[in-house]
Amino acid sequence: MSKDNKKIIKEATIATTEQITRKYFFKECFSGMGAMALGSMLQGCDWLGNKDSFNNFTNTNPLMARAPHFIGKAKSVIYLHMAGAPSQLELFDFKPDLLKLDGQDCPQSLLEGKKFAFIRGVPKMLGPQAVFKQRGQSGAWISDNLPHLATVADEISFLKAVQTDQFNHGPAQLLMHTGSPRLGRPSIGSWVTYGLGSENSNLPGFMVLTSGGNNPDAGKSVWGSGFLPSVYQGVQCRNEGDPVLFLKDPAGIDRDLRKASIDAINEANQLTYNEFQDPEIVARMAQYEMAFKMQISVPDVMNINDEPAYIHEMYGTEPGKASFANNVLLARKLVEKGVRFVQLFDWGWDSHGTDGTTAVDIGLVNKCRNIDKPITALLLDLKQRGLLDETLVVWGGEFGRTPMQENRDGKTMPFKGRDHHTEAFTTWMAGGGIKQGSSFGETDEIGYSAISGKVTAHDMQATILNQLGFDHEKLTYTSQGRQFRLTDVHGRVINEIIA
Amino acid sequence: MRFLKIPASYWMVVGSIMGVAIISSYFVSNKKVDFNTEVKPLLNKKCITCHGGVKRQSGFSLLFRNDALAINKSGKVAIIPGDADNSEMIKRLYLKDPEERMPYKHPPLSNDEIALLKKWINQGAAWGNHWAYTPVQETPLPNIEQGPFGLFGKPAWIKNNVDAFIYEKLKEEKLTPSAMADKATLLRRVSLDLIGMPAPHAIAQQFLESTSSNAYEKLVDTLLTLPTYGEKWTSMWLDMARYADTKGFEKDDGRNIWRYRDWLIDAFNTDKPYNIFLTEQLAGDLLPNPTDAQYIATAFHRNTLTNDEGGSDNEEFRTAAVIDRVNTTWVSLMGTSFACVQCHSHPYDPFRHEEYYKFLAFFNNSRDEDTWAEYPVLKEFHNTDSTRFTALQKWLHSNAPNQEKEITQFIKTGQPAINSLVADEIKNGALADTKWLQFRNNGSARIKNIDLTGFTQLYYRYISWKSGGQFQIHVDSAKGAIVKNIAIGDSKGAWKIANITIPQTKGKHHFYITYHNNKINNPDESGVQFDWFHFTNPFPGKELAGYQTALQNFDSLLYAQQYTATPIMMENPFNLARTTNVFERGNWLVKGQEVIADVPASLGGLPPGAPRNRLGMAMWLTDKKNPLTSRTIVNRIWEQLFGQGIAETLEDLGTQGIAPTHEALLNYLAYQLMHQHQWSLKKTIKELVMSATYQQDSKFNKEAVLKDPFNKFYARGPRIRLSAEQIRDQALWVSGLLSEKMYGPSVMPYQPEGVWKSPYNGATWNLSKEGNQYRRALYTYVKRSAPYPSMISFDGTSREVCTVRRIRTNTPLQALNLLNDSVYIEAAQQLARRIKNMVPENVSKQIGKGYELAFNQSISPEKQKVFEKLYRTAFAKYSQDSLQIQQITGDKKAGPSGAALVLVATALLNTDEFLTKN
Repeated sequence: MSKDNKKIIKEATIATTEQITRKYFFKECFSGMGAMALGSMLQGCDWLGNKDSFNNFTNTNPLMARAPHFIGKAKSVIYLHMAGAPSQLELFDFKPDLLKLDGQDCPQSLLEGKKFAFIRGVPKMLGPQAVFKQRGQSGAWISDNLPHLATVADEISFLKAVQTDQFNHGPAQLLMHTGSPRLGRPSIGSWVTYGLGSENSNLPGFMVLTSGGNNPDAGKSVWGSGFLPSVYQGVQCRNEGDPVLFLKDPAGIDRDLRKASIDAINEANQLTYNEFQDPEIVARMAQYEMAFKMQISVPDVMNINDEPAYIHEMYGTEPGKASFANNVLLARKLVEKGVRFVQLFDWGWDSHGTDGTTAVDIGLVNKCRNIDKPITALLLDLKQRGLLDETLVVWGGEFGRTPMQENRDGKTMPFKGRDHHTEAFTTWMAGGGIKQGSSFGETDEIGYSAISGKVTAHDMQATILNQLGFDHEKLTYTSQGRQFRLTDVHGRVINEIIA
Repeated sequence: MRFLKIPASYWMVVGSIMGVAIISSYFVSNKKVDFNTEVKPLLNKKCITCHGGVKRQSGFSLLFRNDALAINKSGKVAIIPGDADNSEMIKRLYLKDPEERMPYKHPPLSNDEIALLKKWINQGAAWGNHWAYTPVQETPLPNIEQGPFGLFGKPAWIKNNVDAFIYEKLKEEKLTPSAMADKATLLRRVSLDLIGMPAPHAIAQQFLESTSSNAYEKLVDTLLTLPTYGEKWTSMWLDMARYADTKGFEKDDGRNIWRYRDWLIDAFNTDKPYNIFLTEQLAGDLLPNPTDAQYIATAFHRNTLTNDEGGSDNEEFRTAAVIDRVNTTWVSLMGTSFACVQCHSHPYDPFRHEEYYKFLAFFNNSRDEDTWAEYPVLKEFHNTDSTRFTALQKWLHSNAPNQEKEITQFIKTGQPAINSLVADEIKNGALADTKWLQFRNNGSARIKNIDLTGFTQLYYRYISWKSGGQFQIHVDSAKGAIVKNIAIGDSKGAWKIANITIPQTKGKHHFYITYHNNKINNPDESGVQFDWFHFTNPFPGKELAGYQTALQNFDSLLYAQQYTATPIMMENPFNLARTTNVFERGNWLVKGQEVIADVPASLGGLPPGAPRNRLGMAMWLTDKKNPLTSRTIVNRIWEQLFGQGIAETLEDLGTQGIAPTHEALLNYLAYQLMHQHQWSLKKTIKELVMSATYQQDSKFNKEAVLKDPFNKFYARGPRIRLSAEQIRDQALWVSGLLSEKMYGPSVMPYQPEGVWKSPYNGATWNLSKEGNQYRRALYTYVKRSAPYPSMISFDGTSREVCTVRRIRTNTPLQALNLLNDSVYIEAAQQLARRIKNMVPENVSKQIGKGYELAFNQSISPEKQKVFEKLYRTAFAKYSQDSLQIQQITGDKKAGPSGAALVLVATALLNTDEFLTKN
């Protein structure tokens, strides 16, 4: 299909689709689909709810590109999650008054009726352990921990009063990515892929990269498909072995032999199809063809060796090494190739101060050093390629950190650390139709409570979906007899940061 | 088959009467409007969003009849039975003002729709019960006699009663059923369905060679007796039970619960009647003198997640587990989505908000409290510990029968101990990692509301790091009267169990525990940590013979090492009982009115004499009057065999689920299960696979593709991609690798490096050995945060929550998995070797043999050509490259022919017909 045709069809589709929620689609079209695999369904019953199109069985791809509810500003998302929860007080939320209180007992008023993960009794206040300056035209406060990012402050919209109700990593990460603190719901990337499909039929629509040595606390559920069909789950790109599980031909089967064996499989399948006339067979043949293509396209996009030297310099990438920087560069390559949702998790941000690596003045500084250059490079690189307008970049953790110094089990800790904090933390978004150089939300003078512009994980999710062209209240799926959506019964689009 | 024996004349009469009845009712214009099929769908679609269980605009709700007929906020009555014109609901449908006209801000109802509602109200506005909520009645068989007055009898296609229902619908739809599938296809189909893998060779041969007219029935009977049958149906149940070998959150540590999986295998194999099967899983611990097996059955609801993350609120995750048990019970056993009632009344179905919490009260009184050790666990002792236990039990039985139960229960389950993590008001101490009560010098903590009346002995489990410590138990306040002062020595960091005599207290009190140790100088240093406290009585029979030995056995069993521990359900004793409150808007922190355990009013009350606990609930759930339980399971079995339920939404038989394609058949099967088959699942399964419907050829014909692409009417046999488990088991079986070993701890077959990477967890995937790497899929270790890749590729789930049905997908990752996963490469190598051993020469014959091993039939000449072509290409290629030969065959001695055969075997294992039940 030519590009123009595609465009016309897309526009025609959008007008009608706006009237129709996903629920309608599934209710009207999926009723009684029974034994048929979903793969065949999505094309068989198109998004317009036209039930008469069952005869087209040849194009059977649940990841086929689809139009959202309205034309979104962003085409893809790169979500950078700092697993463990980075300290807003050492990065973006500058609190000079907190410095004055450093070392003093925390007032009872901040402790009464509150629950902390590890703080017990009366902790001491801990002043900011970083030097802050205002940056760019916007005057955003960014600490010296992120000197490179400081140079692109004017691209970013900060959310300074994000709140959550989960103070443990696993549940809080789940809330951030699935809209629920419990296991079992689809992740945001799955929702987006379910809604939009993939633009590149040789690559999955939702890809995940991890760094820092561990998977996030919540496990693979933060990119799982929950109750959505498993085809929508994030495909994890691996730092070692195959970039995608089972991608590589086994030793002893080269490309020619692989081609010959897939040809044989599909010829045999064609004969089975002639006998049974089951359209599902045709679908399977297409998947084997696609698998063959993916074996080339995935390693190709995952290979950063051929990037020019200045790009490596910009990102601080070292080919062959497992690093956050490499993942960020890969994220750019993936969205360039049409992947809808790229999710990065970097583990190791849990600055409790139990040892040097988790001290806000030691470990945190090192973690910042690892992300500063690559994230800055990502924004600049997307911009120079004209992709920043249509790529939404999201940065954040699962909660914030306390203005008090952690005193685990009521004891004095050897290093300076902060406990988990739910009442206020900072995240940011850039590109994809987000305001440049803005900030929304404020915390009190010590950064303990949000006082204005409060937003939640659900609000961030509603905003991300909105930028992609979805009404978060209408992107639904019926499971266990109930309609579910990413934002549960909550969520407000944060219009204040939308350009 | 009773039905077949009824004389045809009887059916002629019945048939003609029924015919007349149908025709006459059709022509009478004032026929009774049916609430369920006509009114309820309209209300659900147009009204209930604003006037239902979630929203009640103007106080008007259409969910229950008495609500709908009540006076609204406006002071008017929406529905006046018998008087549509004066009913406010009807008036509002006609208004012009968009603010007043209903549905509010939506297109008006059509004239036909309004006419229907008026007619319904004029006829008395009768509420109907949704089909799934009405008791299962004996269902008359449809009349399918042919010819005038049924003179020509039943169509020859019919094999049993199931077919009568199917045939009736096919006729209505003007579809023709298909002929029987050929023997080989049928053999493979029924084997995959009944035992989850191909039939053993001898059984297959016997069937294929038999000319007997009941050869198929014999085959079915044989398959139903194989132990592999239990394994296959257990696979199905594990999804519903959300079975996994890890706890779920964060570290996602291991959990030992495989004894439950083995219990299921045995239960299916012995065809435990379904009502008992459920009762034991829901309330085995509450049966009189429960056996170990009955305790283990209750692990069904211990498959909930446990959160070990430091700093997590144990009560929050205990509550989450209880909520999960409620939701799972409803969705998996009664096909009802109950989860929405957690936050508000059901939007569409007759369940009220508080009824959720009444039902939750059944589960809210279990002993588990999100502890690290997953208490309570049942210990099954082995070896010398088992001998000791038997001796102890025997001694108690004859010498202290009154305390036998309590003491053996404590030894086997450690219950009813008070977990230290329930302590609050902790000073100079903490819940270490939010798991165990830990004290520094001068520490204190409270344990709330405990009744210790009559207890004079305290057992406690602790670790201590300092000698010279003492702990005190006080009543009512930390400075209150000291019940007992207890010296506590240095356990050198090891868990110890100690006991001491304490004076009696009476009534319910808050107990305070304090700890002092003058040897601790550093105020941050901890001295002791407690796991649990158990209040009881001294070991009995001091004066009796054998006392010393019995006591010795008791003491050493406290430290037993040789046992398998399985998390189980146990009820709180009276002194630890919890109350249950409604959670406002579903939020567990906002407690509303207190409720007592009960079942939803719309589904009848508890049966007479049923206790108000889990056992009573199980009695209600498995009562023949329960409309949902039997329908849900027969629908599920149908889905396993035919690929889709009779009601497709297995998880929701309610008014928002997809209506059954054959409601009468579903009712018939449910009734049969309970009354004819006495809850035997094997008999139900047999009835289904003996039907002509099941045995049909699965080829699509043109007529079917157009009229019934999804085979909702069953004019052809089921053709479905195999499940993740079936795909693995079949590949291993056909290649000859499959281990027949049953039971035991889960195993770790080949898995690529780097799939497991949980934080704070050094657990590694250690490839199982000695054939354990070739066990059936249901024995594969399930780590929730990083499930086994090929299970997930083929639509398995990570078992975090109950999955009622898997949605099949068809993706390139599946192709990659089967083409490149070492499991399948090894299977192909082994299959190639097997073929070569059976047919040393002649490529054509070898290929034919491979096909025969996979499908029990000869390959078609066309397919033969395809694989021969692949063989020749591969042979030519491998002839030039000996390294590739070694790599692909894993065999230094292999030649190009062996290598080419491996490639052919890989292709064979990847064909659509191999991955599909044909």
